[in-house]
Order: sequence, then structure tokens, then C-alpha cells
Amino acid sequence: MMRRAGRNVAAAFFCLVWIFPVYWMVLTAFKPAGKILQPTPQFLPVDVTLDNFADALAKPGFVPDLVNSAVVVVAVVALSIVVAFLAATALTRFRFFGRRSFLIGVLVLQMVPVPALVIPLFLGLKSAHLLDTLFGLILTYVALVLPFTIWTLRGFLHGIPVELEEAAMVDGATRGRVMRSVLLPLVLPGLIATSVFAFITAWNDFLFAYVIMKDSSGYTLPVWLVSFSTSTGTDYGGLIAASTLFALPVVVFFALVQRHLVEGMTAGAVKG
Amino acid sequence: MLVKAPPEAPPRPATPRRRRSLLPYGLLLPAAVLLGLVLGYPLVRLVVISTQRYGLRSLFTGTTSFAGWDNYAAVLGDDQLLPVLARSVGFCAALVLGTLVIGFGVALLLQRLGRGMRTTVTLCLIAAWALPNVASTLVWQWLFQPGYGVVNWLLTQVGFGDLTQHDWTTSPASAFTLVWLLVVWQSVPFVALTLYAGLSQIPRSYYEAAALDGAGPWRVHRTITVPFLQPILGLVTILSVIWDFTVFNQIWILTQGGPNDGTTTLGIWTFTRAFSGNNFGQGAAIAVVSVALLVGMTAVYVRRLVRSGEDL
Repeated sequence: MMRRAGRNVAAAFFCLVWIFPVYWMVLTAFKPAGKILQPTPQFLPVDVTLDNFADALAKPGFVPDLVNSAVVVVAVVALSIVVAFLAATALTRFRFFGRRSFLIGVLVLQMVPVPALVIPLFLGLKSAHLLDTLFGLILTYVALVLPFTIWTLRGFLHGIPVELEEAAMVDGATRGRVMRSVLLPLVLPGLIATSVFAFITAWNDFLFAYVIMKDSSGYTLPVWLVSFSTSTGTDYGGLIAASTLFALPVVVFFALVQRHLVEGMTAGAVKG
Repeated sequence: MLVKAPPEAPPRPATPRRRRSLLPYGLLLPAAVLLGLVLGYPLVRLVVISTQRYGLRSLFTGTTSFAGWDNYAAVLGDDQLLPVLARSVGFCAALVLGTLVIGFGVALLLQRLGRGMRTTVTLCLIAAWALPNVASTLVWQWLFQPGYGVVNWLLTQVGFGDLTQHDWTTSPASAFTLVWLLVVWQSVPFVALTLYAGLSQIPRSYYEAAALDGAGPWRVHRTITVPFLQPILGLVTILSVIWDFTVFNQIWILTQGGPNDGTTTLGIWTFTRAFSGNNFGQGAAIAVVSVALLVGMTAVYVRRLVRSGEDL
């Protein structure tokens, strides 16, 4: 009995610490300008206002940058899932020359520190005339998430018995048909887990968006967010409201796929 | 004694497992092209640039000259090298340790909680995890702001003296603490949820058998939980090492590597050398050194992984 209570207290304390920054962000976003910068903080919502959100939305760049971010995220999720699924199928359903080397290569690429890639990628995109283009940014993100997504999906496909596909083929299904109607539904939780990873990477990245998109019409939301902080000071109300808006799509996406997410990651890890 | 003649060649299996075909190569092609062009090629280019005199001028004209080992000599001879290295490794270790210890603790806690409390903790973890990197970094700035930061207020109330005006970014130690708290806060959810998912896959019967044999909790932990979790622990650790060694956004936004370069890690150093100092050659050399370090640090794991499964 006592031990049980102790665990609950520990859990409650942990929750408090972990959720507080999120709570504080949302609370601040709804506070009127005069109540934000107060020496004595106010922990409960008393005067609620939407002014900060209005301010944030009025800041130039929001709509175009939001559109840029949305386009990039959708393209990255779709592309990376298709590419990784094909690759993972090849790696788990066929034995062929070069399979091992490919896998080791993927593992090593996962290890390259991202900031180290900035310079040569910048130069490469420059000579390919892809600097300042969303296309360049999309390609970059897809490649960045691929090692992880291939690895996770591979773990997933490992867990699905080949016999299921063979049975379908005996029944006369083509290989394409088998991939569509047998493999795809079974691997869905894995696809969801990897799509979350791709979504987050593309939605959140600051570094590449900052370096690749030099032209201010081509910013994505993370770069737009940072522009609230200038050398002359920070507009905290607007900034925090903007951060809340920025976080919203991810939270919604997470909430929708939450159950599959953990399942997906573990399958990738255990069987990897 | 005569050695028995080997039997006739064993009959071929009725159906060859896979016919040789080009299909797998076709399936791999898109991934190979993307990885090659966007990660592989830049990696090679990085090594090439690190041997060139590559400054702002080269960026515009496209002409460079061969510098041999000059960039490496400059970087390796730089007074900053040792502090930056020590900082990067020490910081990475502190982050990984913090994340794993707290994450594992929370995973074990989740396993032992009632249903309602477990859902609550999971939701808190997911909220923290879902918050975009840049957003949480900016929120962090806001929490720890001198004058109005709620954390300073709280610490003052609890009795650490008057900290209301304290600026966390003015001393390297407290600036690092600031970044550490942020990164650990951000990375614990992934680790905790992944380890918890692993824990929930351990068959109940193992624990029942251990209880029948009279094993204490510590013993159970050592002989069942940890070995079963090994693959996931390995993966989570290696990913944490990779991610924490290359933390960039959080440091850049919170401290820009300051004060007095006190939070400059290899990633920050690469970036400032290349983009602020316009010395891409030296920036690349620093990057190559850090890739080599990371590969070295993770080589043991990769080797074990490669050896472990013939089915890799």
C-alpha cells in the first residue's frame, strides 16, 4: 500500500516537472501584455486574451512560411515513407549481393553529425542550383530521415512472416499486389512511427532551413519563430503565442498516432 | 579405416529460395540515390574541402587551392581544440547519462503504475516530446529569463537567495546547466517510452518463475529485465550518443556558444569557423575530426551488431 502511494507521488512529481514548461507556454500565450512580464508569476489563467495570437499572426511572413513548412512536411513524409518502404522490402525479402554493405552504409550515415553536413551540402546544393528552393530542402530532409526510417521499417518487416506473402503468391497474386494488399496493411504501424519521425524532423529543423533558405520569402516556420528574438529585444507575448501555434500540429499528429508510435519504435528496436 | 565416401550431393531444395533478379536493386535504387547524393557525396566533399583553402572567395568564384594538411594543422594546433573536445565529450556524456538514468527510471515507474496514472505520465511525456525543438528552446529562454523567469522566481522562493535577476547565460557552468536541462527534458520521453514498450514485452511468466524461485527484486532486475532489454538499451544509447554529440539548435539559440566560448562544442565550432569566420576549409576539418570521433565512439557497438546477426 505504502509503496504504491510512493510510486504515485513520484509519478505525480515527474508529471509536474515535465508538463510545466508546456503549461507555462500555453498559459503565457493567453495572458494580456501587461501580465506577462511580472516579477511575481501568476500560475492560473485569470485574464485570458487572444491578443498575443493576433499579434503573432499579424507578423509578416507567417502565412507564406506556414505554407512552406506544410509543403515541405507533406512532401518529406510521403517521399521518405515510399522510399524507405521499398528499400526495407528489398533488404528483408531478398538476399542479394551488396545487401550487407548497404546496411552498414546506412548505419554509418546515421552517425554523421548533422552540423558537419551543413557546409558540403550547402556547396552541393549551390552548384546544383537548388539553394533557396523548397525542393532542395525537401531532398535534404528525406535523406536525413532515411537511415532511421529504413532501419525501423526493416525491423518491422522482419517481424512479418514471409509465408503470408508466399501464400498470396501461390494464390496467384503478383508481387506488386502482394506488397499492396498483404505487406502494406501489416506494416502500417511501422509506417506511422516512421512518418512521425519524418514529420518532426522536417517540421522542426532550424539549421538547414536557416542555411539553405537565404531568401526571406523562403523561410520555414522555425526560422520565422526565431525572428521574434531580435537584438532590440524579444516580444515574449507574440513569441510564446507563435510557439504554441507552431507546436499545435505536432501535438495533434502525436495524439492521433500515439498508440502506434511506441509499438512501432519497439518493433524496430527489438528486431533490429 | 576407410573414410566413408561422401554421400551424393544433397538434393536441391524443391524451390530455390530466391531467384536471382534485379528487383531488389530496383527497390533500393531511390534510397541509394538519395543517400548517396545528399549524405554520401557531401561526406566525401567534406573530406575534400578540409584539404583545400576554401574561404568566402572560393564560395563565389568556385576556385580553390590545395592546402594539404594545413587546415588540420591549424585546427589541431588551435588552443581552442582541447577545451572544445573536452567540452563536447563531457557534455555528451552528461547528457546521455542524465537521459538514460531518468528515462530508465521513468520506464520502470510506468511499468509499476496503475492504469490512470500511467496514462497521465505518458501524456506528459508525449506533450514534452511533441513540442518542436525550436519552440521548446524559446520556451526555455522564457522560463529562465532574468527578471521575469519563473524558474528564478521559484528558486528564490525555495530559498536559494535572491536569484530573480540571475542571468543563466553569463557563466559557462550555468549556461551548460541550462542547455543540459533542456536537452534532457526533450530526450527523456523517447527513451522512457521506448524502454517502457520493451519492458511491456517481457513475458509475465519470467517474473512469476523468478518469484517462485525466491529471487529478490534486484536479482530479478539483473537476470531478467536488463538482459531482455539489452537490444533496446543498446539502440537507445547509441542514438542518444549520436544525437547528444551533435546537439546544435539548443546551444546555438540559447548561448551561441558563449559566454567567452564557454559552451562551444565541436558542432558550434564547425559552424562559427565556417560561416562566421568564412573559413570553410577549417570548418570542414573540424567536422571531419568530429565524424571520426563519433565513428570511433560507436565502432564497438556497430561491430557487435554486424557480428551478432548473420541475418543482418
